[in-house]
Formats: sequence, C-alpha cells, structure tokens
Amino acid sequence: MNTANFPWLTTVILFPIVASLLIPFIPDKEGKTIRWYALIIGLIDFAILSYAFYTQYDLSNPGMQLVESYTWVPSLDLKWSVGADGLSMPLILLTGFISTLAILASWPVTLKPKLFYFLMLAMYGGQIGVFAVQDMLLFFLMWELELIPVYLLLSIWGGKKRLYAATKFILYTAGGSLFILVAALAMAFYGDTVTFDMRSLMAKDFPLQFQLLTYAAFLIAYAVKLPIFPLHTWLPDAHGEATAPVHMLLAGILLKMGGYALIRMNVEMLPDAHVYFAPILVILGVVNIIYAALTSFAQRNLKRKIAYSSISHMGFVLIGMASFTNLGLSGAMLQMVSHGLIGASLFFLVGATYDRTHTLILDEMGGVGKQMPKIFAMFTACSLASLALPGMSGFVAELMVFVGFATSDAYSFTFKLITIVLAAVGVILTPIYLLSMLREIFYGPENKELTSHEVLVDAEPREVFIIACLLIPIIGIGFYPKLITQLYDSKTLQITDSVQNSLTTREERKANPEVLQAERSPAIGES
Amino acid sequence: MEFIYQYAWLIPVLPLLGAMLLGLGLISYGKATTQFRSLSATFIVSLIGAAMVFSFALLWSQLQGHPTYTRMIEWASAGDFHLNMGYTIDHLTAVMLVIVTTVAFLVMVYTDGYMAHDPGYVRFYAYLSLFSSSMLGLVISPNLVQIYIFWELVGMCSYLLIGFWYDRKAAADACQKAFVTNRVGDFGLLLGILALYWATGSFEFEVIGDRLQSLIESGALSSGLAAFFAILVFLGPVAKSAQFPLHVWLPDAMEGPTPISALIHAATMVAAGVFLIARMFPVFEHVPSAMSVIAWTGAFTAFLGASIAITQNDIKKGLAYSTMSQLGYMVMAMGAGAYGAGLFHLMTHAYFKAMLFLGSGSVIHGMEAVVGHDPVLAQDMRLMGGLRKYMPVTAVTFLIGTLAISGIPPFAGFWSKDEILGASFAANPALWLVGFLTAGITAFYMFRMYFSTFEGAFRGGNAAIKQQLKTEQLQRMGLAFGPGAMNPQELMAEAPDELHGSDDHGDHHHSEFPHESPATMTLPLIALAIPSILIGLVGTPFANYFEAFVHPPGEVVEALPPLEIPADFEWGEFLIMGGSSVGIGLIGITLAVMMYLTHRIDPAAIAKQIQPLYQLSLNKWYIDDIYDRVFIRGSRRLARQVMEVDLRIVDGVVNLAGFITLVTGEGLKYLENGRAQFYALIVFGAVLSLVLLSGIT
Repeated sequence: MNTANFPWLTTVILFPIVASLLIPFIPDKEGKTIRWYALIIGLIDFAILSYAFYTQYDLSNPGMQLVESYTWVPSLDLKWSVGADGLSMPLILLTGFISTLAILASWPVTLKPKLFYFLMLAMYGGQIGVFAVQDMLLFFLMWELELIPVYLLLSIWGGKKRLYAATKFILYTAGGSLFILVAALAMAFYGDTVTFDMRSLMAKDFPLQFQLLTYAAFLIAYAVKLPIFPLHTWLPDAHGEATAPVHMLLAGILLKMGGYALIRMNVEMLPDAHVYFAPILVILGVVNIIYAALTSFAQRNLKRKIAYSSISHMGFVLIGMASFTNLGLSGAMLQMVSHGLIGASLFFLVGATYDRTHTLILDEMGGVGKQMPKIFAMFTACSLASLALPGMSGFVAELMVFVGFATSDAYSFTFKLITIVLAAVGVILTPIYLLSMLREIFYGPENKELTSHEVLVDAEPREVFIIACLLIPIIGIGFYPKLITQLYDSKTLQITDSVQNSLTTREERKANPEVLQAERSPAIGES
Repeated sequence: MEFIYQYAWLIPVLPLLGAMLLGLGLISYGKATTQFRSLSATFIVSLIGAAMVFSFALLWSQLQGHPTYTRMIEWASAGDFHLNMGYTIDHLTAVMLVIVTTVAFLVMVYTDGYMAHDPGYVRFYAYLSLFSSSMLGLVISPNLVQIYIFWELVGMCSYLLIGFWYDRKAAADACQKAFVTNRVGDFGLLLGILALYWATGSFEFEVIGDRLQSLIESGALSSGLAAFFAILVFLGPVAKSAQFPLHVWLPDAMEGPTPISALIHAATMVAAGVFLIARMFPVFEHVPSAMSVIAWTGAFTAFLGASIAITQNDIKKGLAYSTMSQLGYMVMAMGAGAYGAGLFHLMTHAYFKAMLFLGSGSVIHGMEAVVGHDPVLAQDMRLMGGLRKYMPVTAVTFLIGTLAISGIPPFAGFWSKDEILGASFAANPALWLVGFLTAGITAFYMFRMYFSTFEGAFRGGNAAIKQQLKTEQLQRMGLAFGPGAMNPQELMAEAPDELHGSDDHGDHHHSEFPHESPATMTLPLIALAIPSILIGLVGTPFANYFEAFVHPPGEVVEALPPLEIPADFEWGEFLIMGGSSVGIGLIGITLAVMMYLTHRIDPAAIAKQIQPLYQLSLNKWYIDDIYDRVFIRGSRRLARQVMEVDLRIVDGVVNLAGFITLVTGEGLKYLENGRAQFYALIVFGAVLSLVLLSGIT
C-alpha cells in the first residue's frame, strides 16, 4: 500500500462518523459496552491521525499537505477537498486528543448512552472536518453540521435551563453562519471564475471595498464562535448548562474554530482588509480580556465563572492575530492550543467537583479540600496553568503575544503602550478570580451544611488519568514551547509575510493616494 | 574544573526531582507516601545537601578566579525571534547559591522537628523542595525572561506554602493576598521587560544596559522614558521584597508554618528583589532618577517597617516587619549605588534573620505545649517571658541574632549595616539620617522582643491575658465580618475548633511550662549562629573581601592582599560612622532595657501620651484598611457592576431581540409560503447586492 496516496484525512473524518452509525446495532442496555466502543474508536482515530501526520507531514513546508480532492456535486462545483497545513494540523491533533479524553470523561453518563456516544463520535468527525476542509461551501456545511450534535447534547443532557441555553446557542451560531454563507458566495461568484476552493479564492484579487465587506461578515460569524464581546452571551449559558464532556468539547475545540477561521479566512485570504480591521481586533481583544475577567470575578456560579475566563483568554488570540508579527501570530496559535488543554481540564474538574457537591454556587461550598485532596491539588494545578504561571503553556502563549505586539511596527507607540498596559491588567485580574474561586471551594473551615448531606469522595484513578493526560502537554509546552511552535512556524511566517506586504502597500497608498485610484479603476471594469 | 560547570544545572534540578517524586507519590499513592515520613525527609534533605556541596564547589572555583560560565539552549523561536534559556555562573550567582542552599538545608533539617506532628509532613517537604528548586533556578538565570519565569514560580511556591494549613481562614486569605500583590509587581516587571526589549531588542542584562546608555546619549530615547521603564522593572522587586507600597502581603504571610517564614519570607525569596536589582544594575546605573526612586523607596520602607515593628505583639509579625525594614536597607543601598554593600547585607541578613525566625519557631513550638495549637495564643509575646530558663539554646541563639540585627560589633549585621550607612551618607545625607534613626528603632524593638520573650517571669499560665487575647481576636474577626454580622457568642463557640488546624495535633499539650525543642531544631539554630557571628568579618571596611569578590559587572576592583589593612584606610571616618551607628543602637537597647527588663519606664504610659502615633503604628499606618476600602471593595464593586451590565444590557438586548423575533415571526408566518425558490431568491438577492455594492464603490 502506498501510504503517501492513502486518503488519510478523509479516513480520519469519516471513520468516527461511520462507526457512530453502528452504535444502534450494538446490544447493550446499560451503556457499558458502548462507552468502551466509543473510547476505542476515539483512540484508533487519534492513532491514525497521529500516524498520518508523523509520517506524511513535512514541517518545513508551509503549504497545504495531505491534500485530497474529489468532485462531489459537479453541477454546483462542490468538491470534497481536504488538507492540512500549519494552521489546521495542530488543531486537528488537539481535536483528536480532547475528543478522546471527553469520551473517557463521559463515563458516568447513564441517560440514553447510545444516543450520547453516537453524538460524541459524530462530533469527533465533524470537528476534524471543520479544520480540514479546503472548500468554502464544504466548510460552511461542516460548520453547520457540527452544531446539531452540540444542540442535542446541550438540550438533552444539560442542566435546568438547558433548552434556553441550547436554543440561544443554535440561534446565535446559525445566525452568525449566515454571514459565512453570504460572504463565501460573494467571494465565489466574484470575478470571472466561480470557485469555492480556498486556494483559488486566495489567488483571486479582490478590491479593497469588497474585502472590507466580506471581512466584516466573517468577523461577525467568527466573533460569535470565538467569542468576542458583545456577541459572547450564548457562551456562559451554554457552558453553564453543559455536562462536563460536552463542556470539554465546547471550550477545548469549538471556541478554537472561531480563532482558526479568523486566521484562515480573515487574515490569510483578506490581508488588505486585515490591515484596516486589525486595530479593531486589538481593541476588542483588550475589551474581551478585561471585561470578561471582571465579570468572571463577580460570578457566583462556578461554571459561568470558568466560561467567562475562557472569553478573557481568547482576547489574547485577537491581539496576537492583529500584531503583524510572526511572534504574535505564533502566540495566538499557541494560546488556542494551550487554552484547548487548560480549558478542557478546568471544565472537567468543575464537572468532577459538581458530581460530588451537587452545587455550582460558590457560597454553598467551602473547605472541601480536606476531603478531596487530589481534586484540590489538580484544581490548583489547572488554575495556576490558567493564570499563566510560567512553566505551563498559557504563560508562553501570553508572553509571545505580549512580546510580538510590543515589537510590532504597525501601531504607534502610544497605542501599543495603552494596549499592553490594559492587556497586562488582565494578568492581575486572572489570579484574583481564579484564586478566590479556589479559596471559596477548598480553603477555610469545612462547610458543615455541605458535608452533612453530601458524601465527598476523592478523585478516582480515571479522573486523575484524564487530568494527567492534559497536564503533561501543558507542562511540556511550558518547559519547551518549540514542541508546538515548530509544528506551524513555517506557516505563520508565510502569513505574516503576506500581511506585512499588505501593510506596506497601505503605507505606500497613504503616502501617495493616486496609487489607490489607479488600482481601483480596473476593479470597476471587472465587475 | 570545567566538569562541575557543565553539570551545574543539576543544582536546581535535584530538588525538583525530589519534589516531583514526592508529588507523584502523594497523588497516586497518597496514604502510603504519607507513611514514609523519615524516608522522604531524608531523601529531600540529602538532595538539597548534594546541591549545597555542589554550590560550595562552584564558589570555591569562582574564588580561584575561574571565569564566568554560561550555557544556553534555544527555548522558543518564531521566525527570526530566538529566545535562549540556560544558566550562568559568576561571582554573584556562586554566593547566592551558597546562601540559598545552606539556609534551605538547615531549614529542612529543622522542619523535621517542627512539623513532626503535622499530617502534611511529606507534602511540606515536597513544597520546600519545589521552592528550593525554583529559587536556585532564579539565581542562575542568565536573562530577564528566565528570571521572570522563576520569579513567578517562587511566588507560586510561596502561595502554596502560606496556604499550607488551608483549613485556616487566615491562611487562605493570606496566600491569595500574597499572590495577587506579587502579581501587581509582576505586572510592572513584565511591562518593564517588554519596554526594555522594545527599546533595546535584548533580554540580556548587560546588552540592555549598554544599548540603553547609547540610546539615551544619542537622544533616541528620552531619559524620562528610560527612567519610566526602569521603575516599571523595579515594581517587581517592590512586591517581592515587600517594599512600600506593595509590602502588605509579607506580614500576613506569617500564617504559613514557621520554617517557611524563615526560608522564604526572610532569607531567600524576599531577597530575590534585591538580587534582581543587582542583576539589573548595569541598566539602572545609567538612569539616575530611577536610582533615587529606588533609594528613597528603600529608605522609607526601612523606616515604615521599623516603626510598625515597635508595637507588634505577635512574635512572627514583629520579625516580619523587621524583615521588611532590613530589606528596605538593602534596596536603599542598591539605590545609593552601593552594590556590594547591599548584597553583603543580603547575605548577613539571610543568616541571622533565618536564625531569628527559626528561634521564634522554637519558641512557638515550646509555647504550644502550654497553650495549645492556637496561633493567637502561642505567638503572642504577652504570654511569654522568662523562656531563657526553659529553652537555653533558643535564648542564646536568639540573643546572638538580636545583637547582629541591632548592629553591635563584631556580629555580622554591624559590618553590613555600617557599610550601607556609610555609602548612603556619601550619596545623600538625608538617606543616611533615615537609615541611622531606623537603626536605633531596630535595636529598640529587637531587644523589646528579646526581653519580653526570654526574660522576666513566665506568663503563659495567666488566664486573664489569654482571655484578653481571645477577646481582641474576636473583635478583629468581628471587624472583618462587619458589625452585627454574627453573634459573638456563636463565634466563640466555633473559633477554637477552627483555629486548631488539624485535629491530629492531639491533646498532648497543657504542660505547665514550655520545654526546649528537639535536637533537629536546635542544631540548625546553632549552625546558623556561627555565620551570624562571623560572616561579617569577610566584609570589614579595612579588608573587604566580599566586595572584592562581588562587584557590579564592568567595575574593576583590585584584589586585596590577604589580611593587611590598606595604607590609605581612613580610620577616623570609619570610627565616626561606625561609632555613631553603634551609639544609636546602644540608646535603643538602653531604652528597651529600662522599659522591658527593669521596668523603670512604663511603656503603657508612653503609649497613652502619644496616642495618635501609637495607634498609627499599631494599625500599620492604616495602609491595609485603605487598600481594603479602595482596591478590594472597589474592584468587587466594579466587577459586580460589569456583571450587571453584561446580564442586563448586553444579554438583555439579545433576549429582547429574541422576543421581537418571536412576535414578528408570528406575523411573518403568513408571508412565508414554504417555496424553496422564494428563499433562494432572498439569498441570491443578498449576495448580488453585496457584490454590486462593492463593485460600485
């Protein structure tokens, strides 16, 4: 078998989906066989994709690799085309890793296990699909398809307000994705040729006004997903109601789709518009960091607190993206991977704590550290990771964003100074809300009201194992960040070059406005 | 010789391995690991012992004149940005390594006795080892980023160790306060590092210094901006070394077990701030305005700490304010340009202050046998007195420490403090005056502490004082809860239970008199007494070997001929400066003798006469109250308001939109006809208008 031509990515996407279709035929009433089945499928898929990247992926090549393209619907020019490059490869790996752990984390699920694991496996494939597809229309389809399992997972297994949360989630995201469709169609039909292929779209020469409009449309869609203030309010509700495994997927992977798509489409395909929108991204990033950190501090509900902390951390992705430096973009990528791991671990631990205390309200907890020392220790470690303690991945990502932005030549000194100072305020706010959360859950004298009616058992080996799996890469990246950064370094370098080009073009345009006129006139002729 | 340098990375790695092993054991086999007490203690202590031997070897080699050794590996890179990490061994590092490893080693030996009855014994050793590793990593850091990394890591260890007895509310509050206050400093440090990188493109100390100097000279960077950057960096040391205005965490940090107070909050971590100033000296020395900010911050902190220490009754809190004051001296020395003097005081202070803290731990350990495991009772000096009879070793070593810190020759503190005072007189007589007055106050409060602890009659059995202390504590807690929040009687019933910490402490207390601590605790005290007496002799003004060895990079200091007083040494100046500082020390001691030993003067009467000043000192200049009102409550209020906005406005708009859609949807129902073409038409129209719009404009 020639491994180089084997359709690796298609296999990785379709394998869990096909496997999920077999679930209804597995005889199992209690859900014990099913969960092992799902876990093994997850592991096999993760193994396949790791093997594929290990043997087939060339780190020094910034272009698309493992490319496959099959015509699907010829009349619509719809192609099944997948591929991976520096942007998508780390995120595909992350998806496989987190989804497998999420299946392991759903061990206690007893309600409708068949449907649950069916949806989990369907999500598995769908999420990888979002990162792998190279066709705009297909991307839109994948983006929409992956909403359905989330909607069901939220509305069936969620908390008390699950229907409200699920409806809000689907309305928000579906509403956002309309913008993707419109912008994608516009891009496809622009110019002489009609194409949905991302690389051909990238080659098209869009005029600036068109770029700005499509950029804005994409930005709205992805701002919902990432999320960016003020389109973030679905997230605390969805996160507040989701069960731990769904939580891990939401925080670990779904948020990253927003960041990924922003870099892939807004920054890479529309670099000229990015030059104009970048300052807005920076401002939104700063608002995200501070606003969400303050809200998180005031939250009394544990899940909502962590949900807001996710929003706060995503602010760094925006700033890094808009820094016009390789270091900043690299930091944004690393922040996504790092938050995928840290967010998943924190949400898993919140779920584990909830399983024992049966409350999410901080005032009803207190002093449980004595009875659950292992959960206490793991919670502390993951919170420290989240507050960007050196030696863990979050620190490296934030540092890279900071240094990248500080050395950026796209902004004035004052703008940079204010941005960095405000973003660094987040560095103070994060420990305030995370450590006071730890204090209110674990520290202090035991809360007699809680311990009198709840049996607080310490973490079981399965839970320790999941956290260990997440902490090892977190600490590994913290100690030696090149582990991850080398995966995408060549790609981010390429993107940075292209946005830097656009930046200099704009500077030149500013210098002599006639160039702008000259460039624009043929554009009218074309359309 | 090269060989020990190649393996110098083992110094921080050895304790790290120990901590990891114990940590893994505790997580996976918690019960079993807790059983292996002496095994894990021996393991950890021998690892740090190995690191200590290694450090001595490096110091010896550096004394032989071996050149600075640096080794780097590429840590992070992105495009043309490369960040290297590694280690560097020079004179300063060698000295710091020896200080840290020796104190850590002795503290770890001491811990065995002090924590003998604690159920968290093994966990404590794991934390201690983790801390030692981070601290050692900090001192061998070759650049600013690596310093920042370990800087935060020691902060984390401090957080974990202050909150070691996590079921105590006070400890829980204190550890968070420590971490957050330090983060405020780190915020400045991070901004400073970024700003300096932006200006000079480097993270290396000397490169930054050189480039900054040439930038200022060429006018590319205004000196005001350079000073601003330098002060941002200085914010890091301000927090870590407990300088005003970020000093508030250190006294609260005394909630941690006493060995921690000795190791982290007296000898090593808090001195990291001074170490960073020393490392950044090539940068700071070109920015005179930053230097004077540093000097005055130090001077003010020295005075502030001493003035608060006078009225403290908690023995550990008193020592904490004294630490803050002594750190102020070091920072002042650095700011005055006296690089060697500041570091010399860092070294002598590390030894005698570690000894004083361990001594206070020994006292508390003895007192707990009488009054029980209640920090409110066991640490209060009003219940002590006359302990010299029961704990002679502790008393003698504590006296040595007291003499050393009071600046009485030939004890270590005299030489280093005298050098600082001399240097600050040369820089600015006003600085000297503050330092000089503080020296007198220091002698006074330290002897007050010594006399009320070890001399006079034992008051531990006095029920009236106990009752009074309990009432005071309740009042304090009442204040914290807000008036009327809870019935005091209810608290009374709950408080003892809460303050007992772990119930496993058992009921072996309530003997009538305290006893001397076990040998594992007294031996480290004796071992620390030796450097507290003698180490000052390496830095006497007439034969200053210390400064000949540790001096700012770039500065050439001639090697001293052994044991020979240089011909041009000015005896007169030395005698005036040294004599006056000994003189004011003696005045302070005399006052303390009259007030607390012979009771010739009644301290209560004086306190009544200067009531406002007394209250100012007792209430720590009200700084904590102001911070509580402005920052803590302010940030809470702000956070709550932001959440309200989020809930009512941002989310409110969404829900309103949802509501409107629902209503209009009802209306639209009649417009929709379910024909797919109609929908396609709408989408097509939208796309078309988008394309047209962009084309036309």
